[in-house]
Amino acid sequence: MANTADAAPPPCGRCHSPIELGDLRCAVCGLPTPAELAAAVATKIEFLRCEGCGAAVSYDVKAQAPKCSFCDSVMHVETPDDPVEEARASLPFAIDDEAAKVGLRAWLGTLGFFRPSDLQSSATIGELKPLWWVGWVFDAEVLVSWAADSEVGSRRARWAPHAGQREVHFRKVLVPASRGLTSDECRAIAEGYRLETQGPPPEPRPGALVERFDVQRSAARVVIAEALERAAAGQAADWVPGSRMRKLKIAVLPRRLTSDRLAFPAYVLAYRYRGKLYRAVVNGQNAGVVTGKAPYSVAKILLVSLGSVALVAIIVAIIAAAS
Amino acid sequence: MSHPARRRSQGPRRLWHDGRRPLSEISEFSCESCGSQVQVEAHLRTTTCPYCASPAVIERPRGGGRPQPTFVLAFILPNEAALAAARRWVRRAWLAKEAFRKAKVEALRGIYVPAYLFSAAAHADYTAQIGENYQETYTTTDSKGRTVTRTRTKTEWHTLSGRYAAYVSDVVVTASRGIPNDELEGIEPFDLRALHRYSPRLLSGWIAEEASMAAAECRQLAIDEALAEVQQRIARMLPGDKQRGLQVSAKLDALDQELVLVPVWVLPVRWGEAPEQVVRVLVNGQSGAVFGKAPRSWVKIIALVLVIAGLIVGGWLLGQHR
Repeated sequence: MANTADAAPPPCGRCHSPIELGDLRCAVCGLPTPAELAAAVATKIEFLRCEGCGAAVSYDVKAQAPKCSFCDSVMHVETPDDPVEEARASLPFAIDDEAAKVGLRAWLGTLGFFRPSDLQSSATIGELKPLWWVGWVFDAEVLVSWAADSEVGSRRARWAPHAGQREVHFRKVLVPASRGLTSDECRAIAEGYRLETQGPPPEPRPGALVERFDVQRSAARVVIAEALERAAAGQAADWVPGSRMRKLKIAVLPRRLTSDRLAFPAYVLAYRYRGKLYRAVVNGQNAGVVTGKAPYSVAKILLVSLGSVALVAIIVAIIAAAS
Repeated sequence: MSHPARRRSQGPRRLWHDGRRPLSEISEFSCESCGSQVQVEAHLRTTTCPYCASPAVIERPRGGGRPQPTFVLAFILPNEAALAAARRWVRRAWLAKEAFRKAKVEALRGIYVPAYLFSAAAHADYTAQIGENYQETYTTTDSKGRTVTRTRTKTEWHTLSGRYAAYVSDVVVTASRGIPNDELEGIEPFDLRALHRYSPRLLSGWIAEEASMAAAECRQLAIDEALAEVQQRIARMLPGDKQRGLQVSAKLDALDQELVLVPVWVLPVRWGEAPEQVVRVLVNGQSGAVFGKAPRSWVKIIALVLVIAGLIVGGWLLGQHR
């Protein structure tokens, strides 16, 4: 057999989702894969895990030492038997360091009234670390079963029960798998990516961190099933009759679930304001998409709350005087 | 009588019990390290050479009703930790007989127990009565004869019919006559993420049992367990404030079952004197969960019931006095 390495295994016999070389069970429905597949896998991947913060990261060739980019601590080596998910493709960086810093400074000016007035001008932007964080992007045909209470059909009570089932086709649902960035951070910067720009997996380059998927493939099933339920719950308002609902419960039966493992470029920046350090993340393809932490202006918040208390007091006084 | 381990024989040898049914079928092979003849009983997949302590795993030809394992869950919990967990469990069995709680807890053995990992797609139709609460105000007269307005919670009932579809993929049932399913359930769940494709290397040095229950029998156990799980999942899905009369009609599609060897520490706890009794304690080789049927001390249970009853009666009397 000349090209066994290239031959893709046949899809899962139960849910028709693609099976990958080295899978012991279908990641979607749990059906075991034929044993011949295992024989084709010869190489094990070794990955490094940070002892300090638990982020799974690649060995940094340039640094010649396993040092975690998130917390600077030393890492130990783990060799899993169950293959750890790896990024199949990556999106390239479309902006440089300077543009990321400009993007961060612009973002600091858009945070609203309750932030310090001089935040944008006085923040000193410090270290900037480019990194690729990883996540799944999946498409699936899902039979969604739901049950919920809504106001439709209720008699004396406010609620009446409803249930239903429907086929939903999900496209391009993003599930972050990063440990260095939080899920909220990933979702916040996800909107600026252009999926059509994807290329080969990221090459290690000096200073740039390439995150690894932190989950083994067999554990990905749980993560993806939860994401499917979340995605279905997000659409439930369209199916549950009426305008109000409560106690929504979802069960999913996915079929033909194809997921792509992508690495997304981002800059992690640290900036200092009045001696305190804050972290922000800038989308590596669009400097306009930024998320992070920023200080509040205690003086402004105090002023507004005192002002509103005073206003209420004045109104009460006027009403009292008038009556 | 010749020494069995030294006797050269070709192929498996049968021992007959009562002259009617085979007691066990023993295989003999020569140890790769020291060359001596080693015996393996038919219900085991592994052995250790008694002369040089080399571990060996037996690969029997397929067929003959003896299924080949597909997966292995390897031991994660070390011997000492399992022993500590078992000891803790025995010492803390408060309602067990004192002699049992003071029994020696030692010498446990790690055994790969055969089990079936079952998965299927479940489709179900269900109906249930769903209660929705509402507040009702009513007027009544209080103890002094005045008319007062009060509210009370009432429930209106609806019939809900729905459908449910999902995969049931992690059902594990025993395939060993030695360990009944309820005992295995007592130490579940196993972490199936740590599944390895079966390899003799994983068993080397450990006791591994062959499947001794028929696949069809295990399948029925698994189907019952899967249907019970579907029923539970639907019960958790029901909306409303109250639920009753859940009727589920479920069918399972695309069934699959694979033999998996699961890691179990087995420990016989011997207690009591003349006659000595044995309680088998199982410890999950991954999580350290313990299961055993401790001998109940009826004296302690009756005493506990009396104490609780006494507290209730005492509390009631105290309430009456005020």
